[in-house]
Amino acid sequence: MALFVQVLVSGILLGGLYALMALGLALVWGVLNIVNLSHGALIMLGAYVTYFLVTGAHFDPFAALPIAAAVLFAIGYAIQRGILNLVIRGPMFNTLLITFGIEVVLMYLAQLWFSADYRTINPGYAGASYAVGGITIPFVQLIAFAIAIGLTAAMWLFLLHSRTGRGIRAAAQNLVAARLYGVSPKRIYALTFGLGAALAGVAGGLYGTVSQINPYIGGALTAKSFVIAIIGGLDNPLWVIVGGLFLGVIESLTALFIGPTYRDVASFGILVLILIVRPSGLLGRTA
Amino acid sequence: MYAFLFFIAFSFLPAPAWAQQVTLGASVQLTGPVANTGRYYKDAYEFAAEKINAAGGIAIGSTRHRIALKILDNQSDVNLSVRQYVQLLSQDKVNFLLGPFASNFVLADSSIAEKTRVPMVQGGGASDQIYSRGYTHVFGTLPAASNYFGSTIDAMTRLDPRPRTVALLYADDAFDVSVAKGTRELLKRAGLKTVIDERYSTNASDFSVLLSRIKSGKVDAVLVAGHETEVLNFIRQAKSLGVSPMLQSFTVGVPSADFRQALGRDANGASGMTAWLPSPALKDQWFGDAEKFAREWKARYGYEPDYHAAAGVAAVEAFVNAIQSAGSVDPQKVRDALAKVSFDSLYGHVSFNDQGQISLPQIMIQIQDGKVVPIYAGKEFLNKLQYPLAPWDKR
Repeated sequence: MALFVQVLVSGILLGGLYALMALGLALVWGVLNIVNLSHGALIMLGAYVTYFLVTGAHFDPFAALPIAAAVLFAIGYAIQRGILNLVIRGPMFNTLLITFGIEVVLMYLAQLWFSADYRTINPGYAGASYAVGGITIPFVQLIAFAIAIGLTAAMWLFLLHSRTGRGIRAAAQNLVAARLYGVSPKRIYALTFGLGAALAGVAGGLYGTVSQINPYIGGALTAKSFVIAIIGGLDNPLWVIVGGLFLGVIESLTALFIGPTYRDVASFGILVLILIVRPSGLLGRTA
Repeated sequence: MYAFLFFIAFSFLPAPAWAQQVTLGASVQLTGPVANTGRYYKDAYEFAAEKINAAGGIAIGSTRHRIALKILDNQSDVNLSVRQYVQLLSQDKVNFLLGPFASNFVLADSSIAEKTRVPMVQGGGASDQIYSRGYTHVFGTLPAASNYFGSTIDAMTRLDPRPRTVALLYADDAFDVSVAKGTRELLKRAGLKTVIDERYSTNASDFSVLLSRIKSGKVDAVLVAGHETEVLNFIRQAKSLGVSPMLQSFTVGVPSADFRQALGRDANGASGMTAWLPSPALKDQWFGDAEKFAREWKARYGYEPDYHAAAGVAAVEAFVNAIQSAGSVDPQKVRDALAKVSFDSLYGHVSFNDQGQISLPQIMIQIQDGKVVPIYAGKEFLNKLQYPLAPWDKR
């Protein structure tokens, strides 16, 4: 029983991090209709920014996260304004190809700049944990989980209540009407992509505190984010959280009861099922 | 005296006075997820070729041949590496083949060598599957994967208190499956009880479930066969979940410098194995000895060599020895000479069994205070093993 609860807790904590990774992808997808295949590479860059702030400038990893977010926001904003905006009217396949290209470029630049060495963000308290009734809750993962939930809630409130947030939603729902009301799509799109990248940056910093970093971690993270965005649907950031938790728990239970090799079978099997049964997402509105 | 005069004359000769050259080709992971280990092979091939050329190259009859290298980057993609080996032979016309890193690559690439009857000497794949196919043109300088944990299990039976329960975890790739197959047998023979025997997917990043099972199953010793990224994640998560068995051993990573760098103090206590340590007792015709080699390598490339590097150098040296004793660059003659090579190198004594694989004992090692300490080499304990392991916060 304790084992089951422990695995469940681990799954939930993992799911929080998954959700944060997927949040930026879902936002960009929902508003710009771009499936950003470079999302994982942005997570990887966020991890490196955090890593260098921690090892080079002796930042606390969590204090470094806002800086990682700001740096990635700038990178995201520039990518959208400088590259993606040029093809935003083109077919979806073109944007897919371009983001794939960006991923490859970022990956190889990262190896060139940072080498292929494996790195970890390893503060003194990295291994600390709480023991509650025989269950171990890793401190860093708990904080990462809290940040993921907090950021998602903040994102939700921002989209719902702020003027810019309403502009983003308006652009997603009806671009013509939004323009009539004075929304500048160029600005809104760049802002949205920047926000997506900033979220990836924070996710990367947190990922580095629980896992190892190298220039090639991005691909798998993009795939995972994609699955979560599909499960949660693109309407509401809160559903992305649920999607992340759902995936984290399913993966952990699969590993426990069926075997660790079947984790990805479970997560991508769910993806296929959902695409067949509920294409707008397990939790999203049906069209 | 004549030798001395010859040496003087030789050292004043301009370098490009070569009559001919022998080209060795390889496809290595210079980019992509395993670039971190792939670089050992590129650096080893280049370093060895340079040293041997500086000492006069390969002597075939009375002419001196320079070693030339043709190294391609396979981007950590097996399919690309197969195509590149075909290209090396058909287009680049290399004479012989050196190997890539990792068993799954060697398994695929060595088929090209076998099919074209051009010998390959590789120091990157240890899986027993490579040598169980009856191939005659593939030689390997890494000892058998099935025996990687041999010295560790031997040492375990001599520990006090003796570990009683063992967890064996392994990734689902060619190398680690071979390790697991052999280890299972060794554990049974040693009378140790395997309570968890579980396979996980390559590049797994989350080990919390396996770790929770290890914790609740009260496992004494954990043996992990996996690649470096997996081992790093495993150790970090073991710490954060407070999983601290009496002994933890890993097939890969422990002897490598960047593994210790990435983990810092958390690397302490981790044990593993290596077929090579940079000892001055390992004499080498071109490098002096292994210690000197390690020092020069560090100065030249900026990182410490491990057994991958030494196995790569040994592969080049095996070719040089074989070509010289064959007195020819004919692939069949060199292949037959390779089957008979027997020489001492900075890596150890190099000779191949009937399947083409080297036989070297694995030395059990442990990281203590950030340094690799040899623990057990098959007969006796060389240094004291930190056992049972202290809790994570005291390492």
